[in-house]
Order: sequence, then structure tokens, then C-alpha cells
Amino acid sequence: MNAVTLVARREIAVRGRTKGFRIGLLVTAVLVVVLAALPKLIGGGSDYDVGLAGRQADRLQAALAGQAAQATDVTVKVTRYADEAAARKGVEDGDVEAAVVDNTTVISKTVVGDSLAVLLDTAHRVVATEANLTAAGLDPAKVGQAQQVAPMKTVSLNGTGEDATIRRVLAMVIVVILFMLLIQVCTWVAMGVVEEKGSRIVEILLTAVRPWQLLAGKVIGLGVLGLSQVIVIAAVGLVAAQVTGAVPELPEGTYGVVAGAVVWFLLGYVFYAAMFAAIASLVSRQEELSGVLTPATMLLMASYLVGFVAAGAPDSTLTQVLSIVPPFSAMVMPVRSAVLDVPLWETGLAAGLMIVAAVAVLLLGGRIYQRAVLRTGARVKWREALSSAS
Amino acid sequence: MLEVDGLRKRYGDTVALDGVSLTVRPGEMFGFVGANGAGKTTTMRIVMGVLSSDGGQVRWNGAQAGHEIRRRFGYMPEERGLYAKMRVGEQIEYFGKLGGMPPQAAKRSADELIERLSLTERRGDDVDSLSLGNQQRVQLAVALIHDPELLVLDEPFSGLDPIAVDALAGVLTERKAAGVPVVFSSHQLDLVERLCDSVGIIKAGRMIAGGTVEELRARESRKRLRIVVTGAAPGWAGGLPGEIVSRTERTPEDGARYDEVILMPADDQEALRVAAQAGHVQHFAWQEPSLAEIFREVVA
Repeated sequence: MNAVTLVARREIAVRGRTKGFRIGLLVTAVLVVVLAALPKLIGGGSDYDVGLAGRQADRLQAALAGQAAQATDVTVKVTRYADEAAARKGVEDGDVEAAVVDNTTVISKTVVGDSLAVLLDTAHRVVATEANLTAAGLDPAKVGQAQQVAPMKTVSLNGTGEDATIRRVLAMVIVVILFMLLIQVCTWVAMGVVEEKGSRIVEILLTAVRPWQLLAGKVIGLGVLGLSQVIVIAAVGLVAAQVTGAVPELPEGTYGVVAGAVVWFLLGYVFYAAMFAAIASLVSRQEELSGVLTPATMLLMASYLVGFVAAGAPDSTLTQVLSIVPPFSAMVMPVRSAVLDVPLWETGLAAGLMIVAAVAVLLLGGRIYQRAVLRTGARVKWREALSSAS
Repeated sequence: MLEVDGLRKRYGDTVALDGVSLTVRPGEMFGFVGANGAGKTTTMRIVMGVLSSDGGQVRWNGAQAGHEIRRRFGYMPEERGLYAKMRVGEQIEYFGKLGGMPPQAAKRSADELIERLSLTERRGDDVDSLSLGNQQRVQLAVALIHDPELLVLDEPFSGLDPIAVDALAGVLTERKAAGVPVVFSSHQLDLVERLCDSVGIIKAGRMIAGGTVEELRARESRKRLRIVVTGAAPGWAGGLPGEIVSRTERTPEDGARYDEVILMPADDQEALRVAAQAGHVQHFAWQEPSLAEIFREVVA
């Protein structure tokens, strides 16, 4: 079997078996299920029990039924009471959430929930307006017809259409996942490099495999592990969402956007993983790792923040520029593509530049790694790692 | 056959190796001896290719040793290294596969070694749960798993108890008998003397002596005679030709006077004559220097 594959398989087997990985995956999966089911859980369903009494009760009942029919997932159960006292008792006993008396007063235990309040208020207005119109000698039906106006059509020049909000949320989700995944897996790479260097096992490994094979196997193995983790989480999330019916319909092209994000993840991953590995090879102890990694972590954090800003302002010039400049493009471009249609040449240019940057970091990082990984003890200085032969 | 030819290595201004050469033939065990910092580890690292040299060559059976050749070597570095969070069996197999073995063969070979090194019960345990002695055994298994054509072991005996030393010596002797050249460094010179067919002494990056232990003894310039005489009169030793290194005398209650003299003789025949005249010669022989004595002498 080829050396890179062997190394990658070891990484997957050993890292995938650790408690940390398994518990992390389980917790995240549970979290995703809860999040997906949350709207259903706290929403408690939009079933309202309403009491009606006194004047205009018939017409209110009709108006409420009409509204419930228009909205999805809303049912209104009406209980009729003989008078105000009976309605009060009904509220008191919890038979109904709220009761309307004479189309003038709402009775409730504490406060009426927002959505129910809107429902009642609208019904009240409809009925009251009709009454006023009739009183003024107008035909409510004719006025109603006159008020039927077709809504304005929205035309977005960037082609985002009506799904702007969902697309924006999708963009945010992509930024968060890309960032979490990159920082987690790159940290694994860095820790693995220090583990091998610190324990000196690297000396035995390098008699059997070449430095680039060791590095490539580690990066590929951990990358596969990280990616499969996201796939598991995404699958769990989608299934849970489907079952609970929590997500609205996804806008057209979502799958394309997600696939694009995966490609961008891979490019960003190669870039950052090579960087993290090279930096990690300078030190021999895990305790020194976070200190020496700070600049790289900062760069990743900066990309993340920029990506977040871009999700909020996808059509700004800054976003446009940063979506092309590596390594920011790895996070900004998928975000921008999620929200609006990016010209093909810009995507191509960004991808081309990112590939160049990733290859450059890979070559440089590989060289630093090769020179520094056998030098235990004190931290290897950058200048030494870059210039001297081992 | 391993041939190391004129290796040179500098670390900044420090010269670590200054033309180190050595040869180890098939079925030969070579003991690499020298003070700390003399260049043993550097030489071994260069032989294994984990360190590059500034000059000189490492040849295996006449060919310059490259990566593919070195994959077939077995190596135990000075600072032991294993994956702490990896199971014993898995780890040994992994190195077998890295050394180019097909998975099935690696598994078989690992099973044998685990059995041989009495690690059967620890096969499924993480390495960091093992005692140091057992970790050392795993380390050895890692070096031996792919049935290497050459063994390079840096201080393999350090930190081992006497039983583990014997076990390791047994394994190495067995490999040697199978025709594998074995190179190991050690500060335990009695072990080197007992096990090795040839010895190389390195000092400050230069090989200052080499050959079989007998050859080294023969080359030893300051030869010593051990003379034991009983019944001699006090002061007899003053007549001995040469330099007296040490002298012990005893007079038992009921016996004759006993004298032991270690002498670096100017003339051995004259010394024998003087001793025979003085009393009854019990012992008259060249003293064989131990490797430790040779080492001290050569390195001094």
C-alpha cells in the first residue's frame, strides 16, 4: 500500500477512535437535532382556542375562520359563550386562551400572545370596518373588491429573487461551519505534527516514508475525517428538519452553493493545514503550540470575521475584492455566491489565485516541515527553517 | 555490507563529524563506542537518512543508500518514540506496512514478535499504558517488524534490566546469525566486548580506533604484566625492570609473604628472571586489558 494512504488511514483510525472526537460528534449531532426541532417544540403548534360572546360574535367567528384558512398551520377553535360572565369563566378555567366580548374587549389571563393578538385584532378590524361601511351606506363586498390589489413584483438585479433572507442565513451557516471545520481540523494537523516530533517517532517514520508523504497523509486523513464529520452532521440536520418540517423550502441552487462551499473548504484547508503543519514543526512540545500558532489562527479568525461581514453586505466593493484575494476568498467567495450570482470570471479568478496560494504555502510549508521536524529541543527559528539545510 | 565513507557534518561552527568511516559485513555485530557528543548518534542518523551529511557516502552492498534502500533498514533511535495513543499490535503492524510489507505479512510478523517479546497480553492496549520496559520491547519490535536487512540501534540497552538485556542480546545475536549486519552504540562496554565482533571508537567526530577486540588489544601500546610471587624478601620488586603500576603485599599469620605487582616491563624476560630469583612465582602473565581500559586509554 502506498505510504500516503497508510499514513492517512492511520490518522483516520486513531483520531476517529478518540473519545473527544466521538463525544464531539455526538454532542453536535444532538444539538443539530434539537435546533431543527426547536421551532416545533417552542412553537407548540399554532392552535388557538378563542371564546366569543356578545355582539358581532357570528361575524367575528367567520372572520377568524377566514384568516385561519389563509394562513398555514393555524387553526382557530371557537367557543361561544352566552355572556361576558361566561366568557370570563371560560378564560379563567383555561378553556380558551382569550375571549372577545362585543367585538370591543379582549379578555385574557395575562397577556395575549403576539400572533393570537394579531389574529384577533385583524378580525376585529374587518368586522368593525364592515359595520362602519354598512353604517355609511356602502356595500362592504364592493369596497372589499376595490381593495383587492395585486402585490408588486420584486425584481432583483442580482438575481437573488425572493429568497434573500434564506440565502443570507445559508451564507452565515456556511461561514460558521467553514470556520469551525478549518480551525478544528488544522489544529488536529498541528497537534499531530508536534506529537510525532515531540515523541521522536518522526525519526523512525522518516526512515520509511518521505517528509512530504508523512505530511500529505496526515493532511488528507484528517481532512477526510473533518469532512465526513460535517456530512454526518448535515445529514442528521436535514433528516431531522425534514421529519419535523422545520425548514422552509430551500431556494433554488442551494445544493450548488453547498457543493461550491465544499470545494472552497478543500482549497482553504490545503492552505491552512500546510501553514499550521509548518508552524507546528518548529516546536517540540504541545504547550508551545498555541503561542507559535497565534499568527495563523489570527489570519483564520480574520477570514471568518470578514466572511461574516460579507454575509451581511454581499454586494459591497470590499466583499467583492476580498472574495477574490486569497486566503480570504476561501471564506468570502462561498458566502457571496450563496447570496447572489457571482460572475463566472470572478469565481474562476478567485479559485485560480487560491490554488496558487495553496500550492505556494504547501511547497514552502513542506520545506519548513522537512527541515524543522527533526530538530528537537529549542524552538526552531523561522530564519533557520527557511534558509539552512537540515 | 554497510560502508560508511568519510562522513562530514557541521552544526554551525561545531564540527560534529570529521571524516567518519566504518564497515560492517554481513553477519557481523559492530559496537559503536564513544563519549557523549562524540558523534555516534549523528553518524547513525546519517546512515538512516534522517539527517543529511555535508560530505561522504553511505553505501549498501556497493550502492549509494537512497530512500528505497533505507526502507529495508531497521532503526531504533536514541530517543525512543512511539505513538502513545495507539494500540501495541496496530502500531507494530503499521510500521511493518510502512516498511513495505503487505498487510497480511505485517500482521503475521507482528504476531510472531509480540509472542517472542512476551507482549501478547498487551496487544490491544495503548502504548502509554505500558511500563517503560514493555515500551522498549515495542520499540524493538518496531525496528524488527519488516525483517530488516541491516539493524542500526542507538543505545538499545540503556535503561534495561539484566533480564531484558539478555533477551535483547539474544534477539540481536539471532539476527546476526541470519546474516544481518548489526550496528549498535552503547556505553556498556562489557556488553560491547561480549557481543560484538568488531568495535569502533569515535572521539570528537573522528574514528580513532577500530577492529576486533583482539586487534585493539594487540594495538594497545602499554602492555602490562601481572606477577604474583610468594616468599620473597621485602624490597625485591625494586629490582624489576620497568614501571610499577600497582603493588599489593600481604603477609598471612601462618604463611609466606605474598606480593602482587602490575608492571609495564622494559624487558619481560629480565622481569621473569628477577621474580624467579626473589621467590616462588605463582603467576606471570600479560594482563588482557578490558575494552573499558582500552577505551579510556584511547580516548584520553
